[in-house]
Amino acid sequence: MPDFFINGQPVHAEKGETVMQAALAAGFYIPYFCWHPYLSVAGNCRVCVVEVEGEGGGSSWSDIACNMPVSEGMRVLTDSESVREQRKQTLQFILLNHPVDCGICDKAGECMLQDHHYAYNGEPSISTVPKVKATKYVELSDRIVLDNERCIVCSRCVRFTREISKSHGLAIQNRGDHSLVRASEDGRFNTDPYSDNVVDICPVGALLSRQFLHKARVWYLQATPSVCPGCARGCTVNLWHRKREWKLNALDPRQNTEIARVTPLENPAVNGPWICNKGRDLGQVFGRPRALQPMLKGREVSPDEAAAAARALISESGRPVALVSSWGANEELTAFKQALGDRFTCFVKRDCLPAAGEVVEDELLIRADKNPNTATAQQLFGSAPLTFPDGTDLVLVWGEGFDFTAVPRGARLIVLGSYLAPENGHADVFVPISIQTERAGHYTNFAGVTSHFAPLFAKPRHVVHAEEFFARLTVTAGIA
Amino acid sequence: MTGRQLIMDFPVTATSHLLADYQARGGYQTLRKVLTTLKPEDVTKEVTAAGVLGHGGAAFPVGRKWAVVKLDDGQPHYLCANADEGEPGTFKDRWILEHAPHLLLESMLMTCYALQVRNCFVYIRGEFDQPYRRLQAAVEEAYAAGYFGENILGTGFACDIVVYRGAGSYVCGEASALITSIEGKKGYPRNRPPRLTVRGLYQRPTVINNVETLSNVAIIMRMGAEEFRKVGKPKSPGTQLVSISGHVNKPGVYEVEYGYPLAKFIYEDCGGVLAGRGLKCIIPGGISTKVMTAKDIEGVTYDHKSMEAAGSQVGSGGMVVIAEGTCMVRLLHVMLRFYHHESCGQCTPCREGMGWMHRIIERIVRGEGQPGDIDALVRISNANDGTTICGMGDAAGYATVGIIAKYRDEFEYYIANKRSKCEGRLEVETAHA
Repeated sequence: MPDFFINGQPVHAEKGETVMQAALAAGFYIPYFCWHPYLSVAGNCRVCVVEVEGEGGGSSWSDIACNMPVSEGMRVLTDSESVREQRKQTLQFILLNHPVDCGICDKAGECMLQDHHYAYNGEPSISTVPKVKATKYVELSDRIVLDNERCIVCSRCVRFTREISKSHGLAIQNRGDHSLVRASEDGRFNTDPYSDNVVDICPVGALLSRQFLHKARVWYLQATPSVCPGCARGCTVNLWHRKREWKLNALDPRQNTEIARVTPLENPAVNGPWICNKGRDLGQVFGRPRALQPMLKGREVSPDEAAAAARALISESGRPVALVSSWGANEELTAFKQALGDRFTCFVKRDCLPAAGEVVEDELLIRADKNPNTATAQQLFGSAPLTFPDGTDLVLVWGEGFDFTAVPRGARLIVLGSYLAPENGHADVFVPISIQTERAGHYTNFAGVTSHFAPLFAKPRHVVHAEEFFARLTVTAGIA
Repeated sequence: MTGRQLIMDFPVTATSHLLADYQARGGYQTLRKVLTTLKPEDVTKEVTAAGVLGHGGAAFPVGRKWAVVKLDDGQPHYLCANADEGEPGTFKDRWILEHAPHLLLESMLMTCYALQVRNCFVYIRGEFDQPYRRLQAAVEEAYAAGYFGENILGTGFACDIVVYRGAGSYVCGEASALITSIEGKKGYPRNRPPRLTVRGLYQRPTVINNVETLSNVAIIMRMGAEEFRKVGKPKSPGTQLVSISGHVNKPGVYEVEYGYPLAKFIYEDCGGVLAGRGLKCIIPGGISTKVMTAKDIEGVTYDHKSMEAAGSQVGSGGMVVIAEGTCMVRLLHVMLRFYHHESCGQCTPCREGMGWMHRIIERIVRGEGQPGDIDALVRISNANDGTTICGMGDAAGYATVGIIAKYRDEFEYYIANKRSKCEGRLEVETAHA
């Protein structure tokens, strides 16, 4: 039984839904700026205007779809002559003093104003006088910068800080066309751990990330779905990196293998459309200096030699202990369990602990466990605290966050690590392993939701995938 | 006289605004009768039967507004008196607040009883100083006399009142912006639906009525709906307080019975136009209503039907008289400067449109007008019509379209000749000025 009609087609609506929600769910597109599925209705951009045909020959009326409750049998037109005319006029208002500096705007290419303008207006500003100037660069926080000329005062960012992050860090100052988005004087926006989301939800290029400012045109970038390893929430994210066909050969080839920016990948089961600021800085986590060379006591060897040496140590050992990484993917952890789980006494290692000054845990997303896959690791290897049994003669350390002074005297050491560290050269066997951006896999978050991450870059030549490396150790371990 | 007087029916003296004088005039007698002999729904029935229309500008039937509030819905209701009289040219509520505050309070008590309101508010504009002090004093007098608080007049009915001072924003006179302001937020109007009588102040059913509208409640309950309907016209019962200003010999507040001849009111009761000039036009009910030329007002009676037939509205009763020789371009400039300044900036058409229109008219007044400017003003006005959250965008548009429709030649002349077709000023010099 159809509830109402959009452009003559029957559409079902849930109770309490607005025309906007029902239309989007049914595959009809109504343009909008200020409306956001996860925020309250502000109804101030006026672009989502639709026409409702009058009943029984009555005259039709128009109103905004985002605030229009569906009523049984109503006939909504999303693209009628009068709707197009009103939309065009509203866009002319918005573009009246818009600087149209898309050429230097980070948002260009993914800007809702650009999209709507081309779809519904297409004409330059019809003002005949010079445009009103405004401040182009307002530092709202250490991370966010505001361009007042581009701002369309949709209040999405303000509502975000009130309804989602609850920092109340932003507000609109003044009134009329002097309205300005400003951060509160007490610096609450600066300490808002979710502040960068306002950059994503800004429908235009008004709020920009200072980190990403003028770093890349978005059409040179591509997004690879991944999982943020920053905490046990395991937010799904898009990791943006340079497209293969726009690879830089001359200017700065390092950019080809750098994460340009991180954005949330909407996932109602885990993180909604948000991520925290720490997740935005994944590029720094993965961009640390890498360990690229297998070593035996600091002597550079090939991966095969390292594997042989590790095999030998394991087969000689009487009582080997393994510290399993909680940053390992489900596949890697399972491979280790199958290959070496019986041979080693295994403990789960917390690779990362909360850093000084970091938000440890909150009600929105951030979890106290700063490792992505503790759930699977503990499921496979238990959650006993680390104690070295008497007679431990071999310690295998996989990943970071281990205090090497705790290694029992006389025990041999196998280290699998991704980043440069002083201990790498002291280990009997050091094997460089690939990082998350170089392999595919899955993490299971604290609530048991498993998410997939895909590789962005190729691994360096002598670096091995931990999963394959464990498999190579099996054969010998079994024979011995 | 301007017809029968219901509100201004007593001589103003140094003490006429005080409780003792009000009681001597029979004040609060009706309240006792209402609280002791009538049920809440009887009050609503009586007010609905009286057919009184809103006096704030929109002329919405009061009974229909009240009828939305369900007495048995199990949630608190609120009543707000809108004393944020910001419409330029309007200062009629001020008279009630200054000279008959107890009439308002008594009416509010009856309304609270009718709608089962425990807490009511008066939202008074920040610039009103004397009215605020008079009203606050009256509230204190009423509390001391036991008209507010618990167990009023021994009937068990309880009601409290708070006088809330606004900060002088025009848009806060809009009902939803008003309650947003009372809630302590920025005075932004809200989107409808939901209507305020469904979800208003603190998300509860709220009735917001103009001060003059509410003041009529005590009068209706005293006279009875049948008697009340004998005043005025069938479609517009009662009277309207008209605040008349501008180029007029006797400006001030007059109580005009609906159906009174408009021309007679202006030329005779108000003494006609200043300095013996001819009448150019009037703005009949606040600057957001369309202007009426001297010819338009001929034969028009002052009531909703007749005024609408003449192409304008009763509006808020804020009448501005404009003498021959006044420059309409400069008049519109002043009006648009006001709208630009007072736009709250929440929704796009008004935020951008008001500034745009102001900049255009400013350019015209500077002598830098361009041929397309008049059409641009009309187009922006039309783009604001019905597309904004509140009625302010519409209002500015009506005013602009109204003036341009009747005085387009003056605008064309100004643009072509870079000077006013008239004397180019808004003031009229009088003998003693």
